[in-house]
Amino acid sequence: MTRRVAVTGIGVVAPGGIGVPAFWDLLSSGRTATRGITLFDPEGLRSRIAAECDFDPLAHGLDPAQAERADRYIQFALVAAAEAVSDSGVDFAAEDPWRVAVSLGSAVGGTTRLEHDYVLVSERGQRWDVDHRAAEPQLHRAFAPSTLASDVAERFGAQGPVQTVSTGCTSGLDAVGYGFHTIAEGRADLCIAGASDSPISPITMACFDAIRATSPNNDDPEHASRPFDAHRDGFVMGEGSAVLVLEESEHARARGAHIYCEIGGYATFGNAYHMTGLTREGLEMARAIDTTLEQARLDPTRIDYVNAHGSGTRQNDRHETAAVKRSLGAHAYDTPMSSIKSMVGHSLGAIGAIEVVACVLALAHQVVPPTANYETPDPECDLDYVPRTARPRKLDHVLSVGSGFGGFQSAVLLTGPGGRKR
Amino acid sequence: MSSEVTLEELAALMKKAAGVTVDPQDLAARADTPFAEFGLDSLGLLGIVGELENGHGRALPTDAERCRTPRDFLDLVNSTLTAGA
Amino acid sequence: MSARATRRTAITGIGVVAPNGTDTGTYWKSVKEGLFVLDRITREGCGHLPLRVAGEVRGFDPSALIEETFLVQTDRFSHYAMAAAGAALKEAGLSDAAADSPYSVGVVTAAGSGGGEFGQRELQRLWGQGSRFVGPYQSIAWFYAASTGQISIRGGFKGPCGVVASDEAGGLDAVAHAARTVGRGTDVVVVGAAEAPLAPYSMVCQLGYPELSTAEDPARAYRPFTPAACGFVPAEGGAVLVVEDEDRARGRDAAVRAVVAGHAATFTGASRWDRSREGLAHAIRGALDEAGCAPEEIDVVFADAMGVPEADRAEALALADALGPHGTRVPVTAPKTGIGRSYCGAPVLDVVAAVMAMEHGQVPPTPNVFDVCHDIDLVTSTARPAELRTALVLSRGLMGSNAALVLRRDPGTAAPHDKENTHEQ
Repeated sequence: MTRRVAVTGIGVVAPGGIGVPAFWDLLSSGRTATRGITLFDPEGLRSRIAAECDFDPLAHGLDPAQAERADRYIQFALVAAAEAVSDSGVDFAAEDPWRVAVSLGSAVGGTTRLEHDYVLVSERGQRWDVDHRAAEPQLHRAFAPSTLASDVAERFGAQGPVQTVSTGCTSGLDAVGYGFHTIAEGRADLCIAGASDSPISPITMACFDAIRATSPNNDDPEHASRPFDAHRDGFVMGEGSAVLVLEESEHARARGAHIYCEIGGYATFGNAYHMTGLTREGLEMARAIDTTLEQARLDPTRIDYVNAHGSGTRQNDRHETAAVKRSLGAHAYDTPMSSIKSMVGHSLGAIGAIEVVACVLALAHQVVPPTANYETPDPECDLDYVPRTARPRKLDHVLSVGSGFGGFQSAVLLTGPGGRKR
Repeated sequence: MSSEVTLEELAALMKKAAGVTVDPQDLAARADTPFAEFGLDSLGLLGIVGELENGHGRALPTDAERCRTPRDFLDLVNSTLTAGA
Repeated sequence: MSARATRRTAITGIGVVAPNGTDTGTYWKSVKEGLFVLDRITREGCGHLPLRVAGEVRGFDPSALIEETFLVQTDRFSHYAMAAAGAALKEAGLSDAAADSPYSVGVVTAAGSGGGEFGQRELQRLWGQGSRFVGPYQSIAWFYAASTGQISIRGGFKGPCGVVASDEAGGLDAVAHAARTVGRGTDVVVVGAAEAPLAPYSMVCQLGYPELSTAEDPARAYRPFTPAACGFVPAEGGAVLVVEDEDRARGRDAAVRAVVAGHAATFTGASRWDRSREGLAHAIRGALDEAGCAPEEIDVVFADAMGVPEADRAEALALADALGPHGTRVPVTAPKTGIGRSYCGAPVLDVVAAVMAMEHGQVPPTPNVFDVCHDIDLVTSTARPAELRTALVLSRGLMGSNAALVLRRDPGTAAPHDKENTHEQ
């Protein structure tokens, strides 16, 4: 693999603020964007809290037709992509469209509209033989998962490989990883890569209720997402999108682009263990980390920061701590590892891409974002989780890792300008 | 109506909620064997808890889904269901 | 499979669950004979909907093939995928492949409709009874990643696992994704797609596709490349392949059914069928280029055959654009007119048909299509004997993707016909 892949643009729609400046302001301040659900009436649910985006599609640049036609998760992606494209400075109209790819992830795609219309056609769950006449005309677009990548490709004129990736909660990392491969292996020079999800809906909240995966700490939503803390009691649902412009490094240099960092490696493995369960040992995630480092020929001791999956469930944080210790050895104890889910919640398929953007920003600012709400150490989670306060640090190589339902374990390595001299 | 959950009912629920076929007598004989050895995982047990809660119209303690064996589970469930009956 | 990769990817196992056959042998026999199985939809709760005709998988009993613990927590689309994966692994002799080296086997599926029937049931519980009635498996049965996850768990496969949630062309993209995974060093990938879009609410969702055929008469519902083309008919089912590093396959004396030689994908906009001409042609050129294959080497084309006049015209012209004069001479077929389009599953079924066509030296016919109105050599009525070394499989999706895949027959296999009975029981 001789072609290198640079990140030249970033965009984000996240709880607590739309756009990169607001996002970084939230992360670096350690504030949390979790609150009681306002997007629907959560009465009767076990977990009634979430990290919601205060999002007005028109105010964020979409035209009324786009806002009417596109599902919320696609609106997020269009806004994040527009920011990333603008940030990159790429004139997409002047690029060879066949050399522009799109790789976007989503775990649950259009389920929010699917549920909305289901209620209409089923008379609120009363009939199996649903009445099609009550459905909205754009319902098929919610049904088709590829609408996400299709809409973004159409918006920016991409005609190369266009794909939607759906590997549960690693969708965002994997979409970035697929985009990385697409450029590194020569199938495109540019890739709009990222992920989006807007899962704050009754069916998605109820299905995580059913497996007790979400936090029931409804009385204190601001402090409910507590990754690695001894008192953590589940994840807090989130929503949002992040998009990156990935670009073949020489292509970026030739046009004098600002390069945030390069993608040094990506790997994913299945745990073949359980659809929702994780082992105590974390062997498969460790393998994803090891493989990623091997691709970059990077010694584990060179890792300066690990952006954790850190969902705040009992099993995840233990699993992930074990995996990172296995891969980084004693260096794990000297490596800050934090979870931004403490602040922006867990937006399922989107969060992997949001976390990659957080890593890009960490490299750019040379600051490690904190784990908010971390108060009480858990003996099983004994690494440096960067409690509550962002920390300046020299960062050259950062790792973002994730786990997803279905057993997916993924890792992406980012290398900043200071780390490129090998 | 007795609200006690029997081993027979538990075996039937294991089948219905998790697709695990187990002979009630075998379940009785191995009531201290972990659920996992019968092939019942955490999601299956959550499904059983849900069926019981909805069937009896009352919540079970959160410890129910963490019970490791049929005996522990039935002891907890029945003490809950009979307590306020 | 790329020019840069030194490893070649062989297909060594095939599993099928399709409307015209729930095992590979029956599927090929049906395809070769041009069996037409499109029919009125019989699923409960669907009779009143203005989508009348589809390709239903009938006579498939998952409980005979899959453990009940897996069945209770999965939708029909995953049942098909697990059954097809099981058959493919068995045929490849790799059912126990995970025992020695679990990380050497990955899983990739494409999905375009998810676990709709399971999801509708749980939505009905939520809205009809309350959130406490939503079961624990909704979180893992409805989403697009369900089949990859379950195949990985059932087989103990810990290699790279992926999901392209895509339109139809995603079926070919998944095969390419698997081949590239092999190219990067994974020994074996279980890859394919199966769909189950025939539940009431899923059907309501599909009604918005402008390309959907709402014809009442099965014989008139899906007739691509004819003046009577009036849209496509959806179907259930799909196929799963075992793909493997070719040297490894030969090292263990596995039958190399075909080699995945080249792939390319492009995008030209949802329902922009006029533009798909250019997109498909570009994808064909890219796939040929990657395969190091001249246009004249293509011996058979498995067409996308959308069944929309503008789309059919674009496909015929794309073949001429990309293959030159050979584009009007090469035999073209579309077995899917007999069974419908199972979204991402459809092109994977075509890959299976292409592999078996090459093995048997027979271009299968395009069922129920006779009055072709485009300048292509569409094989109709009965199978046409031919020596087939290289096949081109095309697919387009309703959301705008175009893909092309080039398959090569194993150069080491015997001449066609000699193997006529090898894969038929």
